[in-house]
Amino acid sequence: MDFTIIAETNGDSLHPTTYQLIGAAASMGSNSTVICPNGVGASEAAKINGVEKVISANGDCFNIFDGGAWASAMSSMCGEMILISASPNGREIGARIAAQKDIPIIQDVVSMSEGITVSRPIYSGKAMESLTISGSAVITLRPNAFEAAGTGNDAPINVVDQSADVKIAIQEAINKASERLDVTEADIIISGGRGMGTIENFSHLEEIADTIGAAVGASRAVVDEWGMPHRMQVGQTGKTVTPSLYIAVGISGAIQHLAGMRSSKYILAINKDPDAPIFGVADYGIVASWEDAIPALKSSLSELQS
Amino acid sequence: MAYEALDFYDVDSLLTEEERMVRDMVRDWVDEEVIPNIEIACREGVFPDEWRVALGEMGVLGAPLKGYDCPGLSYTAYGVICRELERGDSGLRSFASVQGSLAMYPIWDFGSEEQKNHYLPKMASGEWIGCFGLTEPDYGSNPGDMITKAEDMGDHYLLNGAKMWITNGSIAELAVVWAKLDGVIRGFIVEKNDPGFSAPEMKGKHSLKASVTSELVFQDCKIPKDRMLPGVKGLRGPFSCLNNARYGISWGALGSAQACFDSAKDYAMSRIQFDHPIASYQLVQNKLSWMLREITKGQLLAYHLGQKKDSGDWIPEHISLAKMNNVDIALEIARVARDIHGANGILDEYPIMRHMANLESVKTYEGTHDIHNLIIGRHITGIQAFTREA
Amino acid sequence: MNITVLLKQVPDTTAKITISGGKVDENSVSKWSMSPYDEYALESGLQLKEKTGGNLVAITCGPERTKKMLTDAAAVGADTLVHISNDGVTDSTHVQKLLAAAVRRFDSQIVLCGKQAADTNSGSTGPGVAELIDAACVTLVTEVNYSEGKFSTIRPSNSGTEKVAVDGLSVFAFDKGTHELRRPNVRGIMMAKKKQVESITSGDLGVVLDSSNVTLNSQNPPPEKPAGQKFEGAEHVNEVVSKLRNEANVI
Ligand SMILES: Cc1cc2nc3c(=O)[nH]c(=O)nc-3n(C[C@H](O)[C@H](O)[C@H](O)COP(=O)(O)OP(=O)(O)OC[C@H]3O[C@@H](n4cnc5c(N)ncnc54)[C@H](O)[C@@H]3O)c2cc1C
Repeated sequence: MDFTIIAETNGDSLHPTTYQLIGAAASMGSNSTVICPNGVGASEAAKINGVEKVISANGDCFNIFDGGAWASAMSSMCGEMILISASPNGREIGARIAAQKDIPIIQDVVSMSEGITVSRPIYSGKAMESLTISGSAVITLRPNAFEAAGTGNDAPINVVDQSADVKIAIQEAINKASERLDVTEADIIISGGRGMGTIENFSHLEEIADTIGAAVGASRAVVDEWGMPHRMQVGQTGKTVTPSLYIAVGISGAIQHLAGMRSSKYILAINKDPDAPIFGVADYGIVASWEDAIPALKSSLSELQS
Repeated sequence: MAYEALDFYDVDSLLTEEERMVRDMVRDWVDEEVIPNIEIACREGVFPDEWRVALGEMGVLGAPLKGYDCPGLSYTAYGVICRELERGDSGLRSFASVQGSLAMYPIWDFGSEEQKNHYLPKMASGEWIGCFGLTEPDYGSNPGDMITKAEDMGDHYLLNGAKMWITNGSIAELAVVWAKLDGVIRGFIVEKNDPGFSAPEMKGKHSLKASVTSELVFQDCKIPKDRMLPGVKGLRGPFSCLNNARYGISWGALGSAQACFDSAKDYAMSRIQFDHPIASYQLVQNKLSWMLREITKGQLLAYHLGQKKDSGDWIPEHISLAKMNNVDIALEIARVARDIHGANGILDEYPIMRHMANLESVKTYEGTHDIHNLIIGRHITGIQAFTREA
Repeated sequence: MNITVLLKQVPDTTAKITISGGKVDENSVSKWSMSPYDEYALESGLQLKEKTGGNLVAITCGPERTKKMLTDAAAVGADTLVHISNDGVTDSTHVQKLLAAAVRRFDSQIVLCGKQAADTNSGSTGPGVAELIDAACVTLVTEVNYSEGKFSTIRPSNSGTEKVAVDGLSVFAFDKGTHELRRPNVRGIMMAKKKQVESITSGDLGVVLDSSNVTLNSQNPPPEKPAGQKFEGAEHVNEVVSKLRNEANVI
């Protein structure tokens, strides 16, 4: 089986997912051809183990993201099995290539085995499905679900000039002042309770929220006693939330608070009282004061982000 | 979070597609706009004006009335609307009951063509709020002996007297007032700015806090001759309004009951005592099972009565039975739900105590529980027992 | 102008998903709803229709039950309701072919859809259909504007958002939009009831579907989460963060 990988880039280097795409192909016993749109990261890609060759795809169309144009430019370079990151752009390019080649597309795959058999979450993770593909296909892989390939390789780089018609034009860049998300919309929420000591200390939670794009929530005690805005309140009389990750800091976990957040996919609780009821619903619990845990959490998360 | 209603016998599957769409529309609105704001409205003792606007925009006011820009839905749909509103709060349902069944309905049924054209479209859109003045300080269950009176002064009527416990009174543009003209009960439309009319709000309620309740005071209140409802004389006027409102309440109370059941079930599942969820104890299951049983019976009662209303094959006693039963069980369900919630049950974190306090009013207004017993008693025996006089 | 909105009916996002016999049991779904991002596409379509006096065509591909969602769309203002019976077709490339053929049949100038459906969570439909009708496509948009015969849109960029103009026939795949969704009202519901849903088949559309190269083996409940793990002391923060990334896959 012959894999073509369309690299995911991050500014002028490769995004860590590209290593995972290559790792995934390698785990299927296959070397891969890596296409780098606009040549970004080509020399970096050549060093990744498992890469047979790198195609540095150069063309004017790569100066702006138009999934249609990118797909047209790269489609003829692709082999039978195409792996792309399940990022928004990756999904769009993948869907375009699949439609162009009239082959199936399977998005957001989290595991892959001989067959080729893949599995992917459906219904927002409330179920998984397993599919078997015969023949060519485009597969997009969920970031961080696959082992990254190592480096040390020295694959050849072919430069190919290939552009396509761009049908869209950027008229204006709008720099949005980073507005903090609402708790009902966010995929990650970091909430504080009375254990935060004072309302001023919420600034530490806000900093973390800003690094990971989370919303800040609060328990009722904090809203009532310290005058936090009611829209931040999570719980029985506040918002009911179901983020992928709920981080509860200094929240004991009264039944009314649990009613608003217990259906979160994952819960991380940080509390200095080892007997706090919040640990009863937490997937991960850290028994520590927020003063100790929050700085560590912040540096660990911002390390991940960079 | 989409609300999944308790519907053990799938009674809602008997609704038409249109009725279900209306249900979902009102249900979603209640979830998004009412439930998150109801406690604040109660604390402040106001009926939020946005709710008036939204009810008008959804087009549910005066639901079963046809023509004059009224919705023209079935009585079953009207019942469903009441149920969905009252799951939010009985005060909200009261607003809609009074507007539709007690203020719009008498104009629609007994008004002149001019009155209908003038008032109904603006009432259906929610622009004008109406209220209904029947009860007096000294005449509640016995409105026939009311003392408010109207005098024919040639080119106008003069009203004197007072009404009490009037829902929407202080926020209303117009009041449908029942008063005696030469000893006969007649209906009059009194407008907010008519001279000699005032509507002071009654404060200090522990029930229906998000509903406005007022006195209506008439001191030589002068109204034009064309404001009398030409189409009805005697107690039949107010009673036909009450029939419709009571019918709506028989559905509405189920909304409150469902809200209490939902909360009690969730609480019982998550509250752990003696190492296990309290829902795992037989005594608690018995309570939940009893709630489900009564709600299911109430749903069948309401649906069947709705069908009778729609086919026209009904008598007032049918409505008395449903109003009396469904309010009674709802109140009892609220009390049992409060018990299941333990101390938490008294907090405004949970809707229980609010529904419970609301339902105390609902039990009394629109004919007290026992007055409905007497209506049914008279139906069974042919002997009236309201008074000792024959 | 024909404004086409592609809609999908999915289990309500709050509904419980039950598996029986290795498949998601559709009969046990308590509530079916319009896929949330599609609602923003529909809202945007309605606003464009009001602005341009166009005709809003709502198209869905799915089993019989999905007609109900079209009636819901009519209650808020959709004019033409089109149901493509899918005869059990679920392969995304097949669905795209059917939708693309329907888009052509109704001579649409603009196509709006959600960025992904809440059941399959894929996001292939918008760009895939665009490819088949040879249209431009912009995904993750939050609004679409029309002036002087041209459409423009807002999509996310590295530094915030950007305003993007498109040329010719275009597909816009919506994220959560900036416009508030409208509610139906009784009048709309009563009008919707009278509106006919046009039912068409792949045959009517002249689409021949070959057999799919993808076979569904099974659908299963998600893997059990590991039991709660508790760590003593802030020195474990790094370890927990890496678990959040690699075990839970949430950051
Ligand atoms: C919040 C609220 C809103 C209201 N809104 C309106 C409104 O908009 N318009 C309006 O006109 N009215 C309204 N009412 C008034 C309501 O209709 C009356 O309260 C009701 O009819 C009962 O009258 P009452 O309060 O005077 O009680 P009473 O009639 O004095 O009854 C007191 C008790 O005596 C019992 N009783 C009375 N007669 C008999 C009998 N013959 N045999 C046995 N028992 C008997 C009753 O069952 C009750 O238990 C409202 C009331 C409330 C609480």
